[in-house]
Amino acid sequence: MLRVESISKSFGGLKAVDSVSLDLAPDEILGVIGPNGAGKTTLFSLIAGSQKPTSGTVLLEGKAISGLPAHRVVHAGVVRTHQIVRPFANLTVFENVLAGAMFGAVKLHPRVRAQEALDLVGLSSRASDLPGSLTLAGRKKLELARALATSPRVLLLDEVIAGVNPVEAAEMAALIQKIRDARKLSVLLIEHVMPAVMSLCHRVLVLDAGRLIAAGTPAEVTRDPAVIAAYLGTA
Amino acid sequence: MKGAIAGLVALAVLAALPPLLSTYTHNLLTLTFLFVSTALAWNWLGGFAGQVSFGHAAMFGLGGFTAARLILAAAMPIPFAWLCGGLLAGAYALVWGHPTLRLRGPYFSIATIGVGEATRLVLTYWDRFTGGSSGLSLPMIAGQKRLLYWETLAFLALVAGGTWLIRRTRLGLALLAIRGDVEAAGDVGISPTFYQDAVLFLSGAVTGIAGAMYASYFSFIEPNDMLGFDRSISFVLMAVIGGVGTMYGPILGAIVFVLLRQFLIGSYPQLYLGLYGALLIAVILFEPLGLTGLYRRAVRHAAR
Repeated sequence: MLRVESISKSFGGLKAVDSVSLDLAPDEILGVIGPNGAGKTTLFSLIAGSQKPTSGTVLLEGKAISGLPAHRVVHAGVVRTHQIVRPFANLTVFENVLAGAMFGAVKLHPRVRAQEALDLVGLSSRASDLPGSLTLAGRKKLELARALATSPRVLLLDEVIAGVNPVEAAEMAALIQKIRDARKLSVLLIEHVMPAVMSLCHRVLVLDAGRLIAAGTPAEVTRDPAVIAAYLGTA
Repeated sequence: MKGAIAGLVALAVLAALPPLLSTYTHNLLTLTFLFVSTALAWNWLGGFAGQVSFGHAAMFGLGGFTAARLILAAAMPIPFAWLCGGLLAGAYALVWGHPTLRLRGPYFSIATIGVGEATRLVLTYWDRFTGGSSGLSLPMIAGQKRLLYWETLAFLALVAGGTWLIRRTRLGLALLAIRGDVEAAGDVGISPTFYQDAVLFLSGAVTGIAGAMYASYFSFIEPNDMLGFDRSISFVLMAVIGGVGTMYGPILGAIVFVLLRQFLIGSYPQLYLGLYGALLIAVILFEPLGLTGLYRRAVRHAAR
């Protein structure tokens, strides 16, 4: 579905992402974990077109999308959410999602599709409120609905679970599963909340200092000595 | 719906007024129609997209001088000359706007000050086009002022209708999203460059046509009046007084502005620019949504 081929991004002398490759299969939920500063969000920015890679390519179903501006990447079918939610504060919840439905990969019947996305995340009752009146979990759901409304084939989720209370976290994890099943899309998921990663992800990639240090099933990577060293340091 | 009916009634009343008007009021109303149109068009960019331009006088002046030159040079229908002036002004806005619109907030505003002043200087020294500081005179045609009253009123109706259309369609949603968060707008598939360019073109073209009609009405224009910095500030002020980013606040703002200006220029000709500045600061500090904000407060208060 989505293939990233040895992508790199340098900021001056710092290699934020260093020659990372990955393959996301259709319908797969692939986790990306790693300590703070490992380059996870930068990797997302490179795939989503928010930043241009220094080298490497991103292919969506064999077609190169790297180097395209963010909005063109969305039109191609890849959409991201932000770790720190970024709703349009001046638009209502419905208008926020409508923007996704109107300008995304599919543009037909935007109002109907916006409503569907709101229903899916369970925010329909708040449609005419401003995003500022939602709780953090609510705003995260809004971010999710707005991304979904663009009708993506690949969804990049940047810590949509982290930061909410445990009950809401379980709810969000269930929601991601539900969205994947309902929309038949592939999900690339950055997450710190390990129980959610363990239950949701088919495979997990581990980044540290910009480099891919491990890959495998959740159970495999958590036993990997390199991963343990990255998180806890070496003895 | 109610608003549309009120608007149509207001238009009908205004259209029927001319036989009753003194020359002074006739001039004042025509001027108001033109400034309401420019304030609405300024607000498409400054309010909806959140890109505050301090350089719109450049398009007002360019539209005015282009149309005046065309009217003087060629026997063409006058509205066609206005349209040409508007299109050229819109195109000019694109020329400087396409590179500068990637700046946001105060950075964009500062760039527009530079554009406005540079345009004023070039047009002031470009004698063969603008007549330099002695300006251009257009032939007076009998009955033209009366006709222009209706033409500017019709133009205002078009621009108000355009405002409604922009707010209700894709363009409006894109602009509001861009104002909200330009990066997040890109992340839902909105091209910030395309929509900002589009609205700047429209805004510049409407401002240019208004400048062209202004030239025809007063039949004399000169660069320092058409393109002065206080002209640019006046567009900002009209929108700010009425309510930046609101749909029809700028209409009210422009009306208040024209009245205020008549009073200030009459009573305090040395001070009026300073008073503009003070007013701008006062509105932004105390009621950022201007008269529209005050009105909403009053409605909320009454509802309680």
